[in-house]
Amino acid sequence: MNMRKFTSLVFLVLLLSVNAIAGGYQVGLHGVKQIGMGLVGTSLTLDASSIFYNPGGLSFISPDYSFALGGSAIRSYTIYQKNEPSMTEAMTDNPLGTPFYFYGGVRITEKLSAGLAINTPYGNGLSWGKDWVGRYMIQDLSLRAIFFQPTISFKLNEQIGIGVGLVYATGKFEMNRALPVYDVSGEGSVSLEGSTSNIGFNAGVMLQPMEELNIGIDYRSSVDMEVDNVTATFDVPLSLQGNFPNTTVSTKLPLPANLDFGASYTFDEKLLLAFSLNYVFWSSYDSLIFDFEKNTSALTDSRNPRLYENKLIARVGAQYQVSDAFYIRAGGYYDPSPVNKDYFSPETPSLNSIGLTAGISFYPVEELAIDLSFLYISGQEGERTYKPDNFSGTFKAHTYIPGIGITYNF
Amino acid sequence: MITVVLTACKPEIDSFEPSTGNADFTKYIAIGNSLTSGYLDGDLFKSGQEFSYPNIIAQQLKFVGGGEFTQPLMYDDLGFGNKMVLNLNTVKDCFGAPVEGAVPSLGPVLLRKLDPSLPDPRNFQNIPELYGSSNLGVPGAKSFHLIIPGYGMLNPYFARFSANLQQGSVLQQAISLNPTFFSLWVGNNDVLTYALAGGEQDSITSVGLFSYTYNLLLESLTANGAKGVVANIPDISNIAYFTTIPYNGLALTSEQQVAGLNMGYAQLGITFALGPNPFIVQDPDALGGVRQIKSTELLLLSLPQDSIKCAGWGSLKPIPAYYFLDEEEIIAIKAATESYNNVIASMAEAKGLALVNTNAIFNNAKSGLIYDGVKFNASYITGGINSLDGIHLTPRGNAIVANFFIEAINAKYQATIPKVNITDYPGIIFP
Repeated sequence: MNMRKFTSLVFLVLLLSVNAIAGGYQVGLHGVKQIGMGLVGTSLTLDASSIFYNPGGLSFISPDYSFALGGSAIRSYTIYQKNEPSMTEAMTDNPLGTPFYFYGGVRITEKLSAGLAINTPYGNGLSWGKDWVGRYMIQDLSLRAIFFQPTISFKLNEQIGIGVGLVYATGKFEMNRALPVYDVSGEGSVSLEGSTSNIGFNAGVMLQPMEELNIGIDYRSSVDMEVDNVTATFDVPLSLQGNFPNTTVSTKLPLPANLDFGASYTFDEKLLLAFSLNYVFWSSYDSLIFDFEKNTSALTDSRNPRLYENKLIARVGAQYQVSDAFYIRAGGYYDPSPVNKDYFSPETPSLNSIGLTAGISFYPVEELAIDLSFLYISGQEGERTYKPDNFSGTFKAHTYIPGIGITYNF
Repeated sequence: MITVVLTACKPEIDSFEPSTGNADFTKYIAIGNSLTSGYLDGDLFKSGQEFSYPNIIAQQLKFVGGGEFTQPLMYDDLGFGNKMVLNLNTVKDCFGAPVEGAVPSLGPVLLRKLDPSLPDPRNFQNIPELYGSSNLGVPGAKSFHLIIPGYGMLNPYFARFSANLQQGSVLQQAISLNPTFFSLWVGNNDVLTYALAGGEQDSITSVGLFSYTYNLLLESLTANGAKGVVANIPDISNIAYFTTIPYNGLALTSEQQVAGLNMGYAQLGITFALGPNPFIVQDPDALGGVRQIKSTELLLLSLPQDSIKCAGWGSLKPIPAYYFLDEEEIIAIKAATESYNNVIASMAEAKGLALVNTNAIFNNAKSGLIYDGVKFNASYITGGINSLDGIHLTPRGNAIVANFFIEAINAKYQATIPKVNITDYPGIIFP
């Protein structure tokens, strides 16, 4: 088979391949303590991860310097069984996903704090294999976005803190799928790669009407990842190469806006109960379009409907202080998938999910916490179709995510 | 904790359970013509036969008690030596010299012109090991040929595996295998042999003879309680062989040419213009023995392009009647096809057999089919369904047909035979 590469992008293989574990390709793993509590975070002021969860909460973090660093390992499996009488089954063989975060915050004056967040709120590391039945839709895909958020936070008074951060988002993706053209050596394929960046913002308000009660609201704007110079590498028979010319492709993937609301209450200074509601504005993802600069009879602009819907995620979590140096956590959530059942592409096999979490923290010294978390996600079995490709079947998923982090406040 | 994760439980879905319903698939046999035999790309050869629709069905029947399914395989992929392949051909001018700077054109060519290897001599012999073959698809067979005793003396394909060359018929040989289930797809050649000669040779089988034959076939095959599936005949206008060369494929590019033709045909009242024009064809009933082809008439894929380009066929000289079907001939073909299909439908109903409406399938294929993200249509070569001979199907085309057969069997007999993935089968190989 004759390979044709046009521009070769030096492809930095980051260890930071992120997997979709929440609805769509949005990842919610932004703080190991918070993961332990059902991924609740909006109303919590446990550590520097508030910079991301609710910049208004940064004002409430004590003492003056707070740092948090952590990550998770995502091991996920999605199974597919073809509908209609069929023996066909397939299972993803996904690379281990490794979302991470780093937060650093400092109190500058009594009322003013500043911080920086670096984390990975979107990603997908998916592999169905080269030969599975859906290979003309997707073989494997990796999508990763890293967000940088310099943030400031004002403590208006004892009860109110507000904050805002500017988001600089970078993203890159690589996607492989088979092409239904053949020569003596086998089947054709196309590989698409691109990267881009854009900006957004994150704004939040934290209210503490009394010491035991926190109420938080946070809005993170959408970020459209527009990629103008996707490189397409075609592997096709020599006689058909005229139909697959050297060309650039452009595409756009929206990273949706989020509006979060949460509240938490501490009983007897030991038991912290919290909940949050995360509304995700997925309807911005209407279609995935690949616009080829040069079109031929074989290479037409591809318009793939997605028709995602806005969704509300409900979370609850609890933390119990067993002793000065030891905390335990538990939580859960229900994350309905934004994916339209008739336009369910195996590229993003996101099912309605139930998440269950557990976590612990050790404080070897007062300033330093070592956090551990574990998240199990059960993607509910369901029948799905991608109508434009006449592809359908039953899907189910299991995901296992241990996390580890440290926080240092002094 | 990492070890826990790495050996974690994978999700499971309840497996699908195939079931045999109220049919018995233990001994399945297939009868028919070239479409049944796995003939494609202009010849019968080993790898093509392996993708015949009965063989595909038989693999799936194994999940519901089906036994071994054997075929009268050729000994290589050369068959009788007429296989076609796609090739990048050098463009030549009318004197046979290569045109300088011309992009090689992609087109079918006989494999023996590229590779002089000879077919295995056993391909041409009567082989006793093949007498028990479950696939009794015989290329070239019309409906009544299947009941002719000694058909092996008349048809070289049946000669290869006929157990009794002098006296055996295809039907007798099928019955001798004691089938519990059968598939029958025949009737195509009853119009096709006539159509492939442009309506100038051979003749369309009468409905009477077709009906008599079909009844005899079904009576014999179901005599011991065997169940089965039958398929009807696709309309000729759904076969790429007849719909690839457009009636107005005479593209005139120079004023001089147009003027010259207009002058030459002025007396017959035929005019030409720049751009596409209907071809000039032979018609003994027309003024001067020639006329323009009508838009409702069909040109055969066998029409030599060289003769159009270099010998003035279709412009200076009429295209011989052998290469096109006129309105009358088409009407006769369609009428016969419709009558055969009525016979097939009513006899299938009467005997409680499953029926595959291939006529509807090939008609739908024109507007496009899609399976697991791969698009198909009825266009020659690029459509993915028609093989290089323009009549028979690619392995994927056979898989599509096999799935329709399975669907019909499942519906009629309350079985759940698993279908196949069209994309598990090869498509047309490009150079």
